[in-house]
Amino acid sequence: MINLDDLARQANNLEPLPASTVRLAGLVGSQHADLEDICEVIAYDQALTMKILRAANSAADAGESAVSQVHEAVFRLGGSRILALAMSASTRWMLQAGVPAYGLSEGALWRHSVAAASAAETISFFAAESLPPETFTAALLHDVGKLVMGRFLSPFDLQMIYRAQSEGGLDPLSAERQILEVHHGELGGIIAQHWKLPELIVKGITYHHTPGEGFDIICDAVYAANLVAKRIEDPSCIAALDPEVIERLGLAESRLEELAVSARQQFETVSNRYNTE
Amino acid sequence: MAVSKPDFDYIANLARSQAAIVLEPGKEYLVENRLTPIAQQQGFGTLENLIAKLRSETGMTALHNRVIDALTTNETSFFRDFHPFESLRKEILPQLIEKRAGARQLTIWSAACSTGQEPYTLAMLLRENFPQLESWKVSIIATDLSPTVLQVATAGNYSQFEVNRGLPAPYLVKYFSKQGDRWHIKPELKRNIQFRPMNFIQPWPIMPPFDIVFIRNVMIYFDVETKKQILKRIRNCLLPHGYLFLGTAETTINLDPELVPMTVGRATVFQTKPALVGAPA
Repeated sequence: MINLDDLARQANNLEPLPASTVRLAGLVGSQHADLEDICEVIAYDQALTMKILRAANSAADAGESAVSQVHEAVFRLGGSRILALAMSASTRWMLQAGVPAYGLSEGALWRHSVAAASAAETISFFAAESLPPETFTAALLHDVGKLVMGRFLSPFDLQMIYRAQSEGGLDPLSAERQILEVHHGELGGIIAQHWKLPELIVKGITYHHTPGEGFDIICDAVYAANLVAKRIEDPSCIAALDPEVIERLGLAESRLEELAVSARQQFETVSNRYNTE
Repeated sequence: MAVSKPDFDYIANLARSQAAIVLEPGKEYLVENRLTPIAQQQGFGTLENLIAKLRSETGMTALHNRVIDALTTNETSFFRDFHPFESLRKEILPQLIEKRAGARQLTIWSAACSTGQEPYTLAMLLRENFPQLESWKVSIIATDLSPTVLQVATAGNYSQFEVNRGLPAPYLVKYFSKQGDRWHIKPELKRNIQFRPMNFIQPWPIMPPFDIVFIRNVMIYFDVETKKQILKRIRNCLLPHGYLFLGTAETTINLDPELVPMTVGRATVFQTKPALVGAPA
Protein backbone atom coordinates (compact mmCIF):
# COMPACT_ATOMS: atom_id res chain seq x y z
CA MET A 1 0.00 0.00 0.00
CA ILE A 2 1.29 3.45 -0.74
CA ASN A 3 1.28 6.33 1.69
CA LEU A 4 -1.04 8.91 0.17
CA ASP A 5 0.37 11.75 2.24
CA ASP A 6 3.87 10.95 0.95
CA LEU A 7 2.52 10.81 -2.60
CA ALA A 8 0.85 14.20 -2.22
CA ARG A 9 4.07 15.57 -0.77
CA GLN A 10 6.00 14.36 -3.84
CA ALA A 11 3.52 16.17 -6.06
CA ASN A 12 3.81 19.33 -3.99
CA ASN A 13 7.61 19.22 -4.24
CA LEU A 14 7.61 19.55 -8.03
CA GLU A 15 9.27 22.66 -9.41
CA PRO A 16 6.73 25.49 -9.62
CA LEU A 17 5.62 26.92 -12.94
CA PRO A 18 6.91 30.33 -14.09
CA ALA A 19 4.88 33.17 -12.64
CA SER A 20 3.95 34.39 -16.14
CA THR A 21 2.40 31.01 -17.01
CA VAL A 22 0.38 30.88 -13.80
CA ARG A 23 -0.81 34.44 -14.30
CA LEU A 24 -1.82 33.68 -17.89
CA ALA A 25 -3.79 30.65 -16.72
CA GLY A 26 -5.75 32.85 -14.35
CA LEU A 27 -6.39 35.48 -17.01
CA VAL A 28 -7.47 33.18 -19.84
CA GLY A 29 -10.39 31.76 -17.86
CA SER A 30 -11.35 35.05 -16.25
CA GLN A 31 -14.37 36.95 -17.51
CA HIS A 32 -12.76 40.22 -16.42
CA ALA A 33 -9.44 39.92 -18.25
CA ASP A 34 -8.87 41.55 -21.62
CA LEU A 35 -6.32 41.43 -24.40
CA GLU A 36 -4.14 44.08 -22.77
CA ASP A 37 -3.81 42.06 -19.57
CA ILE A 38 -2.65 39.01 -21.51
CA CYS A 39 -0.24 41.08 -23.63
CA GLU A 40 1.26 42.64 -20.54
CA VAL A 41 2.05 39.25 -19.00
CA ILE A 42 3.65 37.98 -22.22
CA ALA A 43 5.64 41.14 -22.79
CA TYR A 44 7.46 40.70 -19.47
CA ASP A 45 8.59 37.18 -20.42
CA GLN A 46 11.06 37.32 -23.28
CA ALA A 47 11.17 33.59 -23.97
CA LEU A 48 7.39 33.42 -24.00
CA THR A 49 7.21 36.43 -26.30
CA MET A 50 9.48 34.72 -28.82
CA LYS A 51 7.48 31.52 -28.65
CA ILE A 52 4.14 33.30 -29.15
CA LEU A 53 5.43 35.32 -32.10
CA ARG A 54 6.94 32.24 -33.74
CA ALA A 55 3.69 30.33 -33.32
CA ALA A 56 1.63 33.18 -34.75
CA ASN A 57 3.85 33.26 -37.82
CA SER A 58 4.03 29.48 -38.28
CA ALA A 59 2.57 27.83 -41.36
CA ALA A 60 -0.45 26.70 -39.38
CA ASP A 61 -1.33 30.13 -38.14
CA ALA A 62 0.13 32.58 -40.66
CA GLY A 63 -2.35 35.12 -41.87
CA GLU A 64 -1.95 37.50 -44.74
CA SER A 65 0.92 39.26 -43.09
CA ALA A 66 3.62 38.43 -40.59
CA VAL A 67 3.07 39.63 -37.04
CA SER A 68 5.79 41.31 -35.07
CA GLN A 69 3.86 42.65 -32.12
CA VAL A 70 2.63 40.71 -29.12
CA HIS A 71 -0.92 42.04 -29.29
CA GLU A 72 -1.18 41.01 -32.95
CA ALA A 73 0.00 37.50 -32.07
CA VAL A 74 -2.40 37.26 -29.16
CA PHE A 75 -5.28 38.41 -31.34
CA ARG A 76 -4.40 35.87 -34.04
CA LEU A 77 -3.90 32.88 -31.73
CA GLY A 78 -6.48 33.52 -29.04
CA GLY A 79 -6.18 33.13 -25.29
CA SER A 80 -6.63 29.35 -25.16
CA ARG A 81 -3.83 28.65 -27.59
CA ILE A 82 -1.60 31.23 -25.92
CA LEU A 83 -2.07 29.46 -22.60
CA ALA A 84 -1.44 26.02 -24.10
CA LEU A 85 1.76 27.32 -25.72
CA ALA A 86 2.96 28.89 -22.48
CA MET A 87 2.15 25.69 -20.64
CA SER A 88 3.96 23.54 -23.19
CA ALA A 89 7.06 25.73 -22.89
CA SER A 90 6.95 25.37 -19.10
CA THR A 91 6.29 21.64 -18.90
CA ARG A 92 7.78 20.11 -22.02
CA TRP A 93 11.09 19.31 -20.35
CA MET A 94 9.44 17.21 -17.65
CA LEU A 95 6.80 15.59 -19.87
CA GLN A 96 9.56 14.46 -22.27
CA ALA A 97 10.89 12.04 -19.64
CA GLY A 98 10.25 8.34 -19.98
CA VAL A 99 7.90 6.74 -17.45
CA PRO A 100 8.82 3.03 -17.41
CA ALA A 101 6.14 2.22 -14.81
CA TYR A 102 3.54 3.12 -17.43
CA GLY A 103 5.45 1.60 -20.33
CA LEU A 104 6.26 5.07 -21.71
CA SER A 105 9.60 5.57 -23.42
CA GLU A 106 11.29 8.97 -23.54
CA GLY A 107 9.14 11.42 -25.46
CA ALA A 108 6.06 9.18 -25.50
CA LEU A 109 4.21 11.05 -22.76
CA TRP A 110 4.96 14.38 -24.46
CA ARG A 111 3.70 13.14 -27.84
CA HIS A 112 0.50 11.85 -26.24
CA SER A 113 0.02 15.14 -24.36
CA VAL A 114 0.40 17.19 -27.55
CA ALA A 115 -1.93 14.81 -29.39
CA ALA A 116 -4.52 15.31 -26.65
CA ALA A 117 -4.19 19.11 -26.82
CA SER A 118 -4.66 19.10 -30.59
CA ALA A 119 -7.55 16.62 -30.23
CA ALA A 120 -9.17 19.06 -27.79
CA GLU A 121 -8.86 21.80 -30.40
CA THR A 122 -10.59 19.59 -32.97
CA ILE A 123 -13.33 18.55 -30.56
CA SER A 124 -14.10 22.22 -29.89
CA PHE A 125 -15.05 22.59 -33.57
CA PHE A 126 -17.24 19.48 -33.64
CA ALA A 127 -18.96 19.89 -30.26
CA ALA A 128 -22.29 21.70 -30.10
CA GLU A 129 -21.45 22.82 -26.56
CA SER A 130 -18.82 25.50 -26.20
CA LEU A 131 -15.72 24.44 -24.32
CA PRO A 132 -13.99 26.61 -21.72
CA PRO A 133 -10.70 28.20 -22.85
CA GLU A 134 -8.80 26.11 -20.28
CA THR A 135 -9.66 22.90 -22.15
CA PHE A 136 -6.59 22.75 -24.38
CA THR A 137 -4.29 23.22 -21.40
CA ALA A 138 -6.09 20.61 -19.31
CA ALA A 139 -5.77 18.20 -22.23
CA LEU A 140 -2.05 18.97 -22.58
CA LEU A 141 -1.46 18.24 -18.88
CA HIS A 142 -3.99 15.46 -18.34
CA ASP A 143 -1.39 12.73 -17.72
CA VAL A 144 1.09 14.79 -15.70
CA GLY A 145 0.22 12.63 -12.68
CA LYS A 146 1.95 9.68 -14.32
CA LEU A 147 5.30 11.45 -13.91
CA VAL A 148 5.10 11.42 -10.13
CA MET A 149 3.16 8.16 -9.79
CA GLY A 150 5.63 6.35 -12.01
CA ARG A 151 8.56 7.33 -9.77
CA PHE A 152 6.67 6.51 -6.58
CA LEU A 153 5.46 2.98 -7.22
CA SER A 154 7.41 0.01 -5.89
CA PRO A 155 7.94 -3.19 -7.92
CA PHE A 156 5.34 -4.82 -5.63
CA ASP A 157 2.77 -2.10 -6.44
CA LEU A 158 3.45 -2.46 -10.17
CA GLN A 159 3.12 -6.22 -9.98
CA MET A 160 -0.21 -5.95 -8.15
CA ILE A 161 -1.57 -3.43 -10.67
CA TYR A 162 -0.57 -5.77 -13.47
CA ARG A 163 -2.22 -8.74 -11.75
CA ALA A 164 -5.39 -6.78 -11.07
CA GLN A 165 -5.65 -6.44 -14.84
CA SER A 166 -4.49 -9.88 -15.92
CA GLU A 167 -6.13 -11.93 -13.14
CA GLY A 168 -8.86 -9.60 -11.94
CA GLY A 169 -9.91 -8.52 -15.41
CA LEU A 170 -9.79 -4.85 -14.45
CA ASP A 171 -8.99 -2.01 -16.85
CA PRO A 172 -5.81 -0.04 -16.04
CA LEU A 173 -7.61 2.77 -14.20
CA SER A 174 -9.72 0.43 -12.07
CA ALA A 175 -6.60 -1.55 -11.26
CA GLU A 176 -4.87 1.63 -10.06
CA ARG A 177 -7.85 2.52 -7.90
CA GLN A 178 -8.20 -0.92 -6.40
CA ILE A 179 -4.52 -1.43 -5.60
CA LEU A 180 -3.41 2.11 -4.78
CA GLU A 181 -6.73 3.67 -3.65
CA VAL A 182 -5.85 6.62 -5.89
CA HIS A 183 -5.30 7.11 -9.63
CA HIS A 184 -2.96 9.22 -11.73
CA GLY A 185 -5.73 11.66 -12.69
CA GLU A 186 -6.21 12.60 -9.03
CA LEU A 187 -2.48 12.96 -8.60
CA GLY A 188 -2.37 15.18 -11.69
CA GLY A 189 -5.08 17.32 -10.09
CA ILE A 190 -2.93 17.80 -7.01
CA ILE A 191 0.02 18.79 -9.20
CA ALA A 192 -2.19 21.33 -10.97
CA GLN A 193 -3.24 22.73 -7.59
CA HIS A 194 0.40 22.94 -6.53
CA TRP A 195 1.04 24.88 -9.72
CA LYS A 196 -1.82 27.24 -8.74
CA LEU A 197 -3.71 26.55 -11.94
CA PRO A 198 -7.43 27.41 -12.15
CA GLU A 199 -9.98 25.04 -10.71
CA LEU A 200 -11.30 24.10 -14.17
CA ILE A 201 -7.88 22.83 -15.26
CA VAL A 202 -7.60 20.89 -11.99
CA LYS A 203 -10.99 19.32 -12.69
CA GLY A 204 -10.23 18.50 -16.31
CA ILE A 205 -7.07 16.67 -15.26
CA THR A 206 -8.54 14.94 -12.20
CA TYR A 207 -11.58 13.51 -13.97
CA HIS A 208 -10.17 12.80 -17.43
CA HIS A 209 -10.93 9.07 -16.99
CA THR A 210 -14.11 9.51 -14.94
CA PRO A 211 -15.86 12.54 -16.48
CA GLY A 212 -19.18 11.53 -14.92
CA GLU A 213 -17.72 12.27 -11.50
CA GLY A 214 -16.52 15.74 -12.49
CA PHE A 215 -19.87 17.31 -13.38
CA ASP A 216 -18.26 19.77 -15.77
CA ILE A 217 -17.96 19.82 -19.53
CA ILE A 218 -14.19 20.28 -19.35
CA CYS A 219 -13.98 16.77 -17.87
CA ASP A 220 -15.94 15.38 -20.81
CA ALA A 221 -13.77 17.27 -23.29
CA VAL A 222 -10.45 16.09 -21.82
CA TYR A 223 -11.77 12.52 -21.54
CA ALA A 224 -12.70 12.62 -25.23
CA ALA A 225 -9.41 14.30 -26.18
CA ASN A 226 -7.48 11.53 -24.41
CA LEU A 227 -9.28 8.79 -26.35
CA VAL A 228 -8.96 10.64 -29.66
CA ALA A 229 -5.25 11.18 -28.94
CA LYS A 230 -4.81 7.41 -28.55
CA ARG A 231 -6.47 6.98 -31.93
CA ILE A 232 -4.12 9.61 -33.42
CA GLU A 233 -1.12 7.69 -32.11
CA ASP A 234 -2.48 4.28 -33.06
CA PRO A 235 -5.21 4.28 -35.74
CA SER A 236 -6.04 0.67 -34.87
CA CYS A 237 -7.07 1.77 -31.37
CA ILE A 238 -10.88 1.88 -31.41
CA ALA A 239 -11.85 2.68 -27.83
CA ALA A 240 -15.38 4.04 -28.04
CA LEU A 241 -16.44 7.29 -26.44
CA ASP A 242 -18.96 6.98 -23.62
CA PRO A 243 -22.41 7.72 -25.14
CA GLU A 244 -23.25 10.00 -22.22
CA VAL A 245 -20.12 12.07 -22.92
CA ILE A 246 -21.03 12.25 -26.61
CA GLU A 247 -24.43 13.56 -25.61
CA ARG A 248 -23.12 16.10 -23.10
CA LEU A 249 -20.60 17.47 -25.61
CA GLY A 250 -23.24 17.61 -28.32
CA LEU A 251 -21.19 15.49 -30.73
CA ALA A 252 -22.91 13.86 -33.68
CA GLU A 253 -22.31 10.10 -33.69
CA SER A 254 -22.28 10.14 -37.47
CA ARG A 255 -19.33 12.55 -37.46
CA LEU A 256 -17.08 10.79 -34.95
CA GLU A 257 -14.98 9.17 -37.64
CA GLU A 258 -14.59 12.53 -39.35
CA LEU A 259 -13.56 13.99 -35.98
CA ALA A 260 -10.85 11.35 -35.60
CA VAL A 261 -9.48 12.04 -39.10
CA SER A 262 -9.53 15.81 -38.55
CA ALA A 263 -7.81 15.42 -35.20
CA ARG A 264 -5.00 13.47 -36.81
CA GLN A 265 -4.56 16.13 -39.49
CA GLN A 266 -4.65 18.85 -36.87
CA PHE A 267 -1.97 17.04 -34.85
CA GLU A 268 0.34 16.72 -37.83
CA THR A 269 -0.18 20.36 -38.70
CA VAL A 270 0.26 21.93 -35.29
CA SER A 271 2.62 19.59 -33.43
CA ASN A 272 5.51 21.84 -34.41
CA ARG A 273 3.79 24.64 -32.53
CA TYR A 274 4.22 22.73 -29.28
CA ASN A 275 7.68 21.40 -30.05
CA THR A 276 9.32 24.73 -30.93
CA GLU A 277 12.08 25.64 -28.53
CA MET B 1 4.12 -13.57 -1.40
CA ALA B 2 1.80 -15.92 -3.30
CA VAL B 3 -1.19 -17.27 -1.38
CA SER B 4 -1.87 -21.02 -1.62
CA LYS B 5 -5.33 -22.29 -2.51
CA PRO B 6 -6.08 -23.65 0.99
CA ASP B 7 -4.97 -20.33 2.50
CA PHE B 8 -7.02 -18.33 0.00
CA ASP B 9 -10.06 -20.49 0.76
CA TYR B 10 -9.57 -19.93 4.49
CA ILE B 11 -9.42 -16.14 4.01
CA ALA B 12 -12.42 -16.20 1.64
CA ASN B 13 -14.47 -18.15 4.21
CA LEU B 14 -13.40 -15.80 6.99
CA ALA B 15 -14.38 -12.75 4.95
CA ARG B 16 -17.73 -14.21 3.97
CA SER B 17 -18.69 -15.48 7.42
CA GLN B 18 -17.64 -12.37 9.33
CA ALA B 19 -18.43 -9.56 6.90
CA ALA B 20 -20.39 -11.06 3.97
CA ILE B 21 -17.50 -10.11 1.70
CA VAL B 22 -17.38 -12.36 -1.37
CA LEU B 23 -13.88 -13.25 -2.57
CA GLU B 24 -14.05 -15.41 -5.68
CA PRO B 25 -11.19 -17.37 -7.24
CA GLY B 26 -9.19 -14.90 -9.32
CA LYS B 27 -8.96 -12.48 -6.41
CA GLU B 28 -5.81 -14.04 -4.98
CA TYR B 29 -3.85 -10.94 -5.97
CA LEU B 30 -6.21 -8.82 -3.86
CA VAL B 31 -5.67 -10.98 -0.79
CA GLU B 32 -1.92 -10.78 -1.31
CA ASN B 33 -2.04 -7.03 -1.86
CA ARG B 34 -4.11 -6.29 1.21
CA LEU B 35 -2.55 -8.79 3.65
CA THR B 36 1.14 -8.68 2.74
CA PRO B 37 1.61 -5.34 4.57
CA ILE B 38 0.02 -6.85 7.69
CA ALA B 39 2.28 -9.91 7.49
CA GLN B 40 5.31 -7.63 7.22
CA GLN B 41 4.24 -5.11 9.88
CA GLN B 42 3.33 -7.81 12.39
CA GLY B 43 6.61 -9.65 11.88
CA PHE B 44 5.21 -12.83 10.33
CA GLY B 45 7.55 -12.64 7.36
CA THR B 46 5.22 -14.43 4.98
CA LEU B 47 1.50 -14.53 4.23
CA GLU B 48 1.60 -18.25 4.94
CA ASN B 49 2.79 -17.59 8.50
CA LEU B 50 0.17 -14.90 9.04
CA ILE B 51 -2.63 -17.18 7.91
CA ALA B 52 -1.24 -20.08 9.98
CA LYS B 53 -1.51 -17.82 13.02
CA LEU B 54 -5.09 -16.91 12.14
CA ARG B 55 -5.98 -20.59 11.81
CA SER B 56 -4.39 -21.43 15.16
CA GLU B 57 -6.52 -18.94 17.10
CA THR B 58 -10.01 -19.75 18.28
CA GLY B 59 -12.70 -17.14 17.81
CA MET B 60 -12.18 -13.67 16.41
CA THR B 61 -9.01 -12.01 17.65
CA ALA B 62 -7.64 -8.54 17.03
CA LEU B 63 -5.56 -10.02 14.21
CA HIS B 64 -8.67 -11.53 12.56
CA ASN B 65 -10.39 -8.15 12.80
CA ARG B 66 -7.38 -6.42 11.30
CA VAL B 67 -7.43 -8.84 8.37
CA ILE B 68 -11.17 -8.29 7.82
CA ASP B 69 -10.54 -4.55 7.98
CA ALA B 70 -7.86 -4.80 5.31
CA LEU B 71 -10.15 -6.76 2.98
CA THR B 72 -13.01 -4.28 3.26
CA THR B 73 -13.35 -1.83 0.37
CA ASN B 74 -13.68 1.67 1.77
CA GLU B 75 -14.17 3.77 -1.32
CA THR B 76 -16.13 6.93 -0.60
CA SER B 77 -16.09 10.66 -1.30
CA PHE B 78 -17.84 13.89 -0.33
CA PHE B 79 -21.11 14.52 -2.20
CA ARG B 80 -20.64 11.20 -3.94
CA ASP B 81 -22.75 10.94 -7.12
CA PHE B 82 -23.95 14.52 -6.50
CA HIS B 83 -27.59 14.07 -7.60
CA PRO B 84 -28.88 12.37 -4.41
CA PHE B 85 -27.73 15.39 -2.42
CA GLU B 86 -29.34 17.77 -4.89
CA SER B 87 -32.60 15.86 -4.52
CA LEU B 88 -32.27 16.03 -0.76
CA ARG B 89 -31.58 19.75 -0.83
CA LYS B 90 -34.21 20.78 -3.35
CA GLU B 91 -37.14 18.48 -2.63
CA ILE B 92 -36.83 15.83 0.03
CA LEU B 93 -35.63 17.86 3.00
CA PRO B 94 -38.10 20.74 2.43
CA GLN B 95 -40.91 18.16 2.38
CA LEU B 96 -39.65 16.34 5.47
CA ILE B 97 -39.13 19.57 7.39
CA GLU B 98 -42.74 20.50 6.68
CA LYS B 99 -44.01 17.04 7.73
CA ARG B 100 -41.90 16.97 10.90
CA ALA B 101 -42.58 20.58 11.91
CA GLY B 102 -44.50 19.42 14.96
CA ALA B 103 -41.87 17.05 16.34
CA ARG B 104 -38.94 19.25 15.18
CA GLN B 105 -36.78 16.17 14.91
CA LEU B 106 -34.82 14.66 12.05
CA THR B 107 -32.88 11.38 12.19
CA ILE B 108 -30.62 10.20 9.41
CA TRP B 109 -28.65 6.97 9.10
CA SER B 110 -25.48 6.82 7.03
CA ALA B 111 -24.93 3.06 6.87
CA ALA B 112 -21.52 1.71 5.87
CA CYS B 113 -20.22 5.26 6.28
CA SER B 114 -16.59 4.21 5.71
CA THR B 115 -14.20 7.08 6.56
CA GLY B 116 -17.01 9.53 7.22
CA GLN B 117 -17.33 11.58 4.05
CA GLU B 118 -21.04 10.80 3.66
CA PRO B 119 -22.21 11.81 7.16
CA TYR B 120 -20.07 14.95 7.01
CA THR B 121 -21.57 15.73 3.60
CA LEU B 122 -25.04 15.45 5.12
CA ALA B 123 -24.02 17.68 8.02
CA MET B 124 -22.63 20.33 5.64
CA LEU B 125 -25.71 20.18 3.43
CA LEU B 126 -28.01 20.71 6.41
CA ARG B 127 -25.97 23.60 7.82
CA GLU B 128 -25.63 25.34 4.46
CA ASN B 129 -29.23 25.08 3.32
CA PHE B 130 -31.49 24.66 6.35
CA PRO B 131 -30.43 27.03 9.13
CA GLN B 132 -33.85 26.57 10.75
CA LEU B 133 -32.74 23.07 11.79
CA GLU B 134 -30.32 24.64 14.26
CA SER B 135 -33.16 24.59 16.82
CA TRP B 136 -34.27 21.04 15.92
CA LYS B 137 -33.04 17.74 17.29
CA VAL B 138 -30.99 16.52 14.33
CA SER B 139 -29.15 13.20 14.62
CA ILE B 140 -26.90 11.64 12.02
CA ILE B 141 -26.09 8.05 13.01
CA ALA B 142 -23.09 6.82 11.02
CA THR B 143 -22.20 3.13 11.20
CA ASP B 144 -19.54 0.87 9.73
CA LEU B 145 -18.14 -2.60 10.20
CA SER B 146 -14.52 -1.51 10.39
CA PRO B 147 -13.19 -0.04 13.67
CA THR B 148 -10.25 1.40 11.73
CA VAL B 149 -12.34 3.47 9.35
CA LEU B 150 -14.64 4.56 12.17
CA GLN B 151 -11.59 5.93 13.93
CA VAL B 152 -10.70 7.90 10.80
CA ALA B 153 -14.29 9.08 10.45
CA THR B 154 -14.49 10.18 14.07
CA ALA B 155 -11.21 12.07 13.78
CA GLY B 156 -12.39 13.78 10.57
CA ASN B 157 -8.81 14.16 9.42
CA TYR B 158 -8.31 13.86 5.65
CA SER B 159 -5.57 13.80 3.06
CA GLN B 160 -5.41 16.20 0.13
CA PHE B 161 -6.67 13.42 -2.15
CA GLU B 162 -9.71 12.86 0.01
CA VAL B 163 -10.77 16.51 0.25
CA ASN B 164 -10.28 16.85 -3.51
CA ARG B 165 -12.88 14.13 -4.11
CA GLY B 166 -16.22 15.84 -4.54
CA LEU B 167 -15.82 18.62 -1.97
CA PRO B 168 -16.60 22.10 -3.36
CA ALA B 169 -13.74 24.52 -2.62
CA PRO B 170 -15.94 26.92 -0.59
CA TYR B 171 -16.89 24.06 1.75
CA LEU B 172 -13.25 23.12 2.21
CA VAL B 173 -12.49 26.67 3.31
CA LYS B 174 -15.56 26.92 5.54
CA TYR B 175 -15.64 23.55 7.26
CA PHE B 176 -12.02 22.41 7.40
CA SER B 177 -8.79 23.68 8.91
CA LYS B 178 -5.42 22.78 7.43
CA GLN B 179 -2.87 21.31 9.78
CA GLY B 180 0.38 20.33 8.10
CA ASP B 181 -0.47 18.24 5.04
CA ARG B 182 -3.90 17.23 6.34
CA TRP B 183 -7.36 18.78 6.50
CA HIS B 184 -9.39 18.59 9.72
CA ILE B 185 -13.17 18.85 9.99
CA LYS B 186 -14.12 21.75 12.26
CA PRO B 187 -15.69 20.66 15.57
CA GLU B 188 -19.07 22.30 14.95
CA LEU B 189 -19.70 19.92 12.05
CA LYS B 190 -19.26 16.87 14.25
CA ARG B 191 -21.84 17.94 16.79
CA ASN B 192 -24.86 16.07 15.43
CA ILE B 193 -23.00 12.96 14.25
CA GLN B 194 -22.56 9.73 16.22
CA PHE B 195 -20.22 7.09 14.83
CA ARG B 196 -21.04 3.52 15.87
CA PRO B 197 -19.73 0.08 14.91
CA MET B 198 -22.19 -2.18 13.16
CA ASN B 199 -21.99 -5.38 11.12
CA PHE B 200 -25.00 -6.03 8.85
CA ILE B 201 -24.76 -9.78 9.18
CA GLN B 202 -24.52 -9.89 12.94
CA PRO B 203 -27.16 -8.84 15.49
CA TRP B 204 -28.07 -5.20 14.96
CA PRO B 205 -27.83 -2.71 17.81
CA ILE B 206 -31.04 -0.95 18.82
CA MET B 207 -31.67 1.70 16.19
CA PRO B 208 -34.02 4.70 16.32
CA PRO B 209 -36.62 5.16 13.58
CA PHE B 210 -35.14 7.07 10.64
CA ASP B 211 -36.38 9.78 8.32
CA ILE B 212 -33.58 9.12 5.82
CA VAL B 213 -31.35 6.10 5.34
CA PHE B 214 -28.26 6.09 3.13
CA ILE B 215 -26.88 2.63 2.36
CA ARG B 216 -24.98 3.19 -0.87
CA ASN B 217 -22.59 1.01 -2.82
CA VAL B 218 -22.31 -1.66 -0.15
CA MET B 219 -25.18 -4.03 -0.98
CA ILE B 220 -23.30 -5.05 -4.15
CA TYR B 221 -20.95 -7.07 -1.97
CA PHE B 222 -23.71 -9.26 -0.46
CA ASP B 223 -25.55 -12.27 -1.83
CA VAL B 224 -29.28 -12.04 -2.63
CA GLU B 225 -30.57 -13.50 0.65
CA THR B 226 -28.43 -11.15 2.72
CA LYS B 227 -29.60 -8.17 0.65
CA LYS B 228 -33.23 -9.14 1.24
CA GLN B 229 -32.72 -9.44 4.98
CA ILE B 230 -30.91 -6.11 5.22
CA LEU B 231 -33.56 -4.27 3.20
CA LYS B 232 -36.35 -5.76 5.28
CA ARG B 233 -34.71 -4.62 8.49
CA ILE B 234 -34.09 -1.14 7.08
CA ARG B 235 -37.72 -0.91 5.97
CA ASN B 236 -38.77 -1.74 9.51
CA CYS B 237 -36.83 1.20 10.92
CA LEU B 238 -37.86 3.69 8.26
CA LEU B 239 -40.46 6.23 9.42
CA PRO B 240 -43.60 6.85 7.35
CA HIS B 241 -42.68 9.17 4.48
CA GLY B 242 -39.05 8.27 5.14
CA TYR B 243 -36.56 7.88 2.29
CA LEU B 244 -34.00 5.23 1.42
CA PHE B 245 -31.01 6.00 -0.80
CA LEU B 246 -29.05 3.21 -2.48
CA GLY B 247 -26.10 3.40 -4.86
CA THR B 248 -26.86 4.59 -8.39
CA ALA B 249 -26.63 1.07 -9.80
CA GLU B 250 -28.57 -0.55 -6.96
CA THR B 251 -32.27 -1.34 -6.62
CA THR B 252 -34.83 -3.03 -4.40
CA ILE B 253 -36.58 -4.62 -7.37
CA ASN B 254 -36.73 -8.41 -6.94
CA LEU B 255 -35.41 -7.95 -3.41
CA ASP B 256 -38.11 -6.11 -1.46
CA PRO B 257 -41.37 -5.23 -3.23
CA GLU B 258 -42.44 -3.15 -0.22
CA LEU B 259 -39.77 -0.57 -1.03
CA VAL B 260 -40.87 1.36 -4.08
CA PRO B 261 -38.50 3.35 -6.31
CA MET B 262 -39.34 6.88 -7.34
CA THR B 263 -37.47 9.60 -9.19
CA VAL B 264 -36.74 12.79 -7.31
CA GLY B 265 -34.82 15.27 -9.43
CA ARG B 266 -32.10 13.16 -11.05
CA ALA B 267 -31.88 10.60 -8.27
CA THR B 268 -33.76 7.39 -7.58
CA VAL B 269 -34.97 7.06 -4.02
CA PHE B 270 -37.10 4.45 -2.29
CA GLN B 271 -40.05 4.70 0.06
CA THR B 272 -42.31 2.17 1.72
CA LYS B 273 -45.47 1.44 -0.25
CA PRO B 274 -48.09 4.13 0.34
CA ALA B 275 -50.60 1.44 1.33
CA LEU B 276 -48.56 0.60 4.39
CA VAL B 277 -48.45 4.16 5.66
CA GLY B 278 -51.08 4.59 8.38
CA ALA B 279 -52.03 0.88 8.31
CA PRO B 280 -53.42 -0.35 11.62
CA ALA B 281 -50.93 -2.13 13.94
